[in-house]
Amino acid sequence: MSSNRWFATGNFFSSYKAEQRIFFTHLDRTVFAVFLLALFVWPLCVELSNKYMLVLDNILIAMIAIIGLNLVTGFAGLISIGHAAFVGVGAYTLAFVARQLGDSHILITHAWPLMLVLCGLVGALFGAFVGLPALRLKHLYLAIATLSFQMIFQWTINFLPLFNQGQTIPIGRIYWFTGMVSRQNHYIFWYYVILTLVVLMGLAVRNLLRTRFGRSLVAVRDNDRAADAMGMHPGLTKVFAFALAGFFAGVAGALHAYLYRGAGIESFTLHQSITYLAMAIVGGLGTLTGSFWGPAAIRFLDLQVENMVEWSAHFLPATLNLATALKPLTFGLVIVLFLMFEPRGIANWWRICRTYLKLWPYRY
Amino acid sequence: MTYFFQLVVSGIVVGSIYALAGLGFVLIYKSSRVLNIAHGQIIAAGAFITYALTVWLKVPLYLAFFLSMGLTFFLAMSVERVFLRRLIGEPIISVIMVTIGLMSILDGLIYLTPFGTVNYSFPEFFPKTPVDFHGVSISWTQLVGVTITFLLIALFSWFFKRSTVGISMRAVSDDQLASMSVGISVPRVFGLAWALAGMSAAAAGGIIGNITGLNFETLHAFGIIVFPVVILGGLDSIIGAVVAGIIMGLIQQFAAGYLDGHWGLNGTKDVLPYVILLIILLFKPHGLFGTHEIERV
Repeated sequence: MSSNRWFATGNFFSSYKAEQRIFFTHLDRTVFAVFLLALFVWPLCVELSNKYMLVLDNILIAMIAIIGLNLVTGFAGLISIGHAAFVGVGAYTLAFVARQLGDSHILITHAWPLMLVLCGLVGALFGAFVGLPALRLKHLYLAIATLSFQMIFQWTINFLPLFNQGQTIPIGRIYWFTGMVSRQNHYIFWYYVILTLVVLMGLAVRNLLRTRFGRSLVAVRDNDRAADAMGMHPGLTKVFAFALAGFFAGVAGALHAYLYRGAGIESFTLHQSITYLAMAIVGGLGTLTGSFWGPAAIRFLDLQVENMVEWSAHFLPATLNLATALKPLTFGLVIVLFLMFEPRGIANWWRICRTYLKLWPYRY
Repeated sequence: MTYFFQLVVSGIVVGSIYALAGLGFVLIYKSSRVLNIAHGQIIAAGAFITYALTVWLKVPLYLAFFLSMGLTFFLAMSVERVFLRRLIGEPIISVIMVTIGLMSILDGLIYLTPFGTVNYSFPEFFPKTPVDFHGVSISWTQLVGVTITFLLIALFSWFFKRSTVGISMRAVSDDQLASMSVGISVPRVFGLAWALAGMSAAAAGGIIGNITGLNFETLHAFGIIVFPVVILGGLDSIIGAVVAGIIMGLIQQFAAGYLDGHWGLNGTKDVLPYVILLIILLFKPHGLFGTHEIERV
């Protein structure tokens, strides 16, 4: 398939291998490479204030978390209402180490890539444990299991002195080859780290989805009894899906803790779990590109809501707490509207656009 | 021993309210297979409506109680009509997520009202001196609340077992296609199930509001504590919800009474139900009274 996919009138794959390729043409690959290069180069040309850099970092971290959520909810079809708790497990693993060894221990400041992996593995462990009921149960009960994990996690952090009872646990500044990462370089440094991780993890998941395991995830979602008859183990596949989601969430949590230089309970509550679900739904469940669209769209909406609240403070009485009211309201509306009118999310708009352009000026 | 009986009494008070809340939840699940995650918000709405009627509009309490039940009847029915009716036949995963969205929307709407930020409490309607029985005491509000709760549970059970509407609801939960063929309108039954669940939630909300005061956080926590209750009782069993509600109330009170303060533990009653929930899901997922679903290809 070397001819241009944009002008082809249909799929002319002659082998399964050709169909499973990630980049179909040289053009695709070049466009992707240029796009990546642009993502890495633009901070050198444009100076962005720390506030917006933080927003960008947040979006990227959410993307890592949503890739995990999309694996378990989108591809494996199991609702997870406790994803923020898994992210919290990652963050609090790091915080736990910081609290035991001191917040500027060499493990945290120098061996931070190791800590990221460690937090991911701990997240995977918890994910697999919560997914255990999947060995005998369907998604309905699993949703409840994740919800109860969220509640247990919140209680553990809030009540145990080991975790400072939900107060922020500080984490020290980290070191790069050139020395300690200073205050003004903090956000830009993490932008590069997180962006690299997003690219690596995105490619890894894209690759995973065409392997035996990735395809068995989708098979189990679509019909688990048929998948069982084909020789897959539905229960174990689901547990693996939860473990994988836990890994991504754990890495995202560790990054979150490093970025904010501390871990506190308010970033890992049930509300945050629902926000993650909203991101996954808006982006498009069961699509990898959706995991990138969703966080960006929701954070953008979040910023707009904040601006609107600031603007309305000029003429509305201060007793009316618009900020706490409007956020859940908009998230809820976005979830419901997308589920009712565009269940396949923003990722589907891109597909619609592409087919429209491809067929233009003819209608289907 | 008095301490033990005191815990039993307060456990039954809390448990009966869980039972009433769980009842509404099971009603919806039984007839339409929807996990209603927004149940706590409906409970809170019921409590706030009762308060607004009694204190702001000066309606007598018993009348306000019934009025708020009537209002939530229509509120829940319209929620079903607007959001869930068009999702009939969609995969169950998107229906559950719509109720998650609904929870968020109702949260936002309640935060817009004064109830989201200010903690109100009902004026005292009953004598302040508690009823004392050999050292075990129970306040009048609690006593009246428990009595009303048990009356309502009995009424709902009777309605579900004997009345024509109740029988048609049970028929739908048993087999949708067969019940359609004998002339039952399935969407109407779904709407009614939501409406009745809204009614019971409002009643639970009114009683909780009188006993503990109107804090939005505590009220909507009732919507989440309902999950351990209904899983323990079996998701589709009304009698299970009632029994499990009372068991859960007792467990919570015993945990608070005997575990807190020892071994550095605190607030165990907030976490124990969820630990129990995870254990039940692992070992006896259909609960005490739920039906075992056997799948055949």
